[in-house]
Amino acid sequence: MSVGSKLKRKAKGERPYFFDDPNVDRVVSMVMGLAGEVAVLHDRLDTLERLLEAQGSVQRSSIDSYKPSAAVAAERAVWREGYLSEVLRIVEIEVEALATGDTAKYDSAIKAVEQDAPKPRKKSTPRKKS
Amino acid sequence: MNARVEIPAQAEHRALPPTTHDEFARQEFVRAFKEHLVKHVHGGNRAVYESKVKPAFQRKHKRAPKTRFEVRDEMVREPYYQMFSTLLRTSQEMMWSSCQIPVARDLEALNQTIKKPKKKKALGSLTLNPELPTPKYHTAVDIHCQPGGYHSEFMAEDASAGMVYDRAVHVYAMGQMGPYNNDMGASIVMWLKKHHPEFKPKRILDLGCSVGHSTVPYAEAFPDAEVHAIDVAAPMLRYAHARAEDMGVRVHYSQQNAECTSFADGSFDLIVSHILLHETSQSAINNIVKECHRLLAKGGMMIHAETPPYKGMDPFDAFLLDWDTRNNNEPFWARSHEIELKALSKQGGFDPALEFEDLIPSAFQVAQATRSHKFQGGDFGGGGLWFIYGNRK
Repeated sequence: MSVGSKLKRKAKGERPYFFDDPNVDRVVSMVMGLAGEVAVLHDRLDTLERLLEAQGSVQRSSIDSYKPSAAVAAERAVWREGYLSEVLRIVEIEVEALATGDTAKYDSAIKAVEQDAPKPRKKSTPRKKS
Repeated sequence: MNARVEIPAQAEHRALPPTTHDEFARQEFVRAFKEHLVKHVHGGNRAVYESKVKPAFQRKHKRAPKTRFEVRDEMVREPYYQMFSTLLRTSQEMMWSSCQIPVARDLEALNQTIKKPKKKKALGSLTLNPELPTPKYHTAVDIHCQPGGYHSEFMAEDASAGMVYDRAVHVYAMGQMGPYNNDMGASIVMWLKKHHPEFKPKRILDLGCSVGHSTVPYAEAFPDAEVHAIDVAAPMLRYAHARAEDMGVRVHYSQQNAECTSFADGSFDLIVSHILLHETSQSAINNIVKECHRLLAKGGMMIHAETPPYKGMDPFDAFLLDWDTRNNNEPFWARSHEIELKALSKQGGFDPALEFEDLIPSAFQVAQATRSHKFQGGDFGGGGLWFIYGNRK
C-alpha cells in the first residue's frame, strides 16, 4: 500500500500542529492511520465472508454461532497473550529491567566508556612479572 | 451501528484510476471519517464556544467577542478544538494519501490510458503551453494540501495530479457533489435556466477548470455552445481532456492563466469559475475580473461560485469557516472572503449596479430531495447551497 517515491508525499507548506505538544498531534495521526487500516481489513473480511457464502462454502450465521472448542480457545488465548506482549512491550520492559537489575542510568554507560580513555602513562619502570 | 444513508458512488470512466479492493476500502474509510467529523465532531466546537469560551470572554471583557480573531485567540487553547483540528488535518492528509496509492501503483499505464483516447477522432481539444509560468499562488504552498499541487509532474506528460484530484474531490465532498463531482456547474446551470431562461450562451469559458468536473455540465446544458476551459496546470488539463472525451462531451481545454488569456475581446457570452478566486491572490483576483470584462461580449455574464463572504457573519462562524486559511494550505482564503465584491466588479470595468450575489440551491441536493421526498442536506456547501457572485456587461 505504500505510495513509494513516484509521487510527492508531503504537501509543500508548514504543517500546523494544534496541541501544546506536537507529539500529541502525531499520535492522533498514527491512531487514525491504524483505524483506517483496521477498516480496510474489516471490509476485506466482510468481502471474504460474502463470497464464501455466495459460493455455498460458509454460512455467515455459522460464523456468528461458532463456538471455539477448548483446544481452539486455548490456541487463541496463547496467540492473544503473545500479541498483547508485543503491543505492550514498552510497559513490560520496565518490569524486566527491575527483575534483571538493569537499572543503571544511561549516563553511567556514557561515563563509563568515556572515562575508559587511555590514561596518560606514568614514566615508571615496568613492573616485574610475578 | 446505524443503517447508512445511501451515498452515490463516483461514476466510473476510463480516465478515473481503478482501485483494488483494499484501495477502495481505504478511500471509503476516509470519506466516512470526514463525514463523521462533519456530522458529529464539528458542531461540538460551537457547544464549547457557547457554553465555556464566550461566557469566560464576557466575564473578562464585559462584552462578547467581536471579531473572528478574538474568537480564534480563545478557541486555539481549547482541547476540543485542538482535537477537532488535528483530526480534520489528518483526514485531509489521509485523503490525499489514499487517492495517491492507486495512482502511484500504476502511474505509467494510467498515463498511457489518458494519452490514448477511446475514439480516434477527438470531440474537443487540448492545447498545452509549456512556456506558461506557474503563478506564485500555486507554488508558494501546495493548495489544499495536495502533495505537488496541481502543477507538478512525476514523469513525462504526466496527468497524475488530475487522477488523484478527481478521486479526492469525491472523497472530500463525501459524494455530495454527485457521481460526476459536477454539482457546482450543474447548480449554476439550474440557476441560469430558472432566472435567465432567455439566456442562451453561444460561447462559454470556464476559468481554473482543473479536471473539468464543473465544466462538463455547461457543455451538456448548452449543446450548441462552444465550451472552452482553461487552467495553469498541464497535468489537470491532460486528465480533463481525457475525462470529457470518455464522457462524450465536447470541451476545448487550453493551458492559460485566467489573468491574461489569449482569447480575443468579446469572445464569450458566459464566463464562469468554481471556487477559483480564493486560490489566487489580491492582484490576480483583480486581473481576473478585468479579463472577464474584456472577454465578455455585450450582454454577456460572468458568474463565480465561492463560499459566502465573512461580511455580516457571526464571528464564530467566520472563525470556523476560516479554518482552511492556515490549516489547509489556502493562504488567500481569508482575504478573498473579505473583498468588497462591488468594488471588485467596478475596478474590473463592470457596472456595480449590475453586480449580483446569491445563495443558490445545489442541483444535486434538489435532485436527491426529489428522489427521496425529503431534503437530505449535508453540511458541505453550506447545507446544499452555493454562493455565487457575478455581473453583466
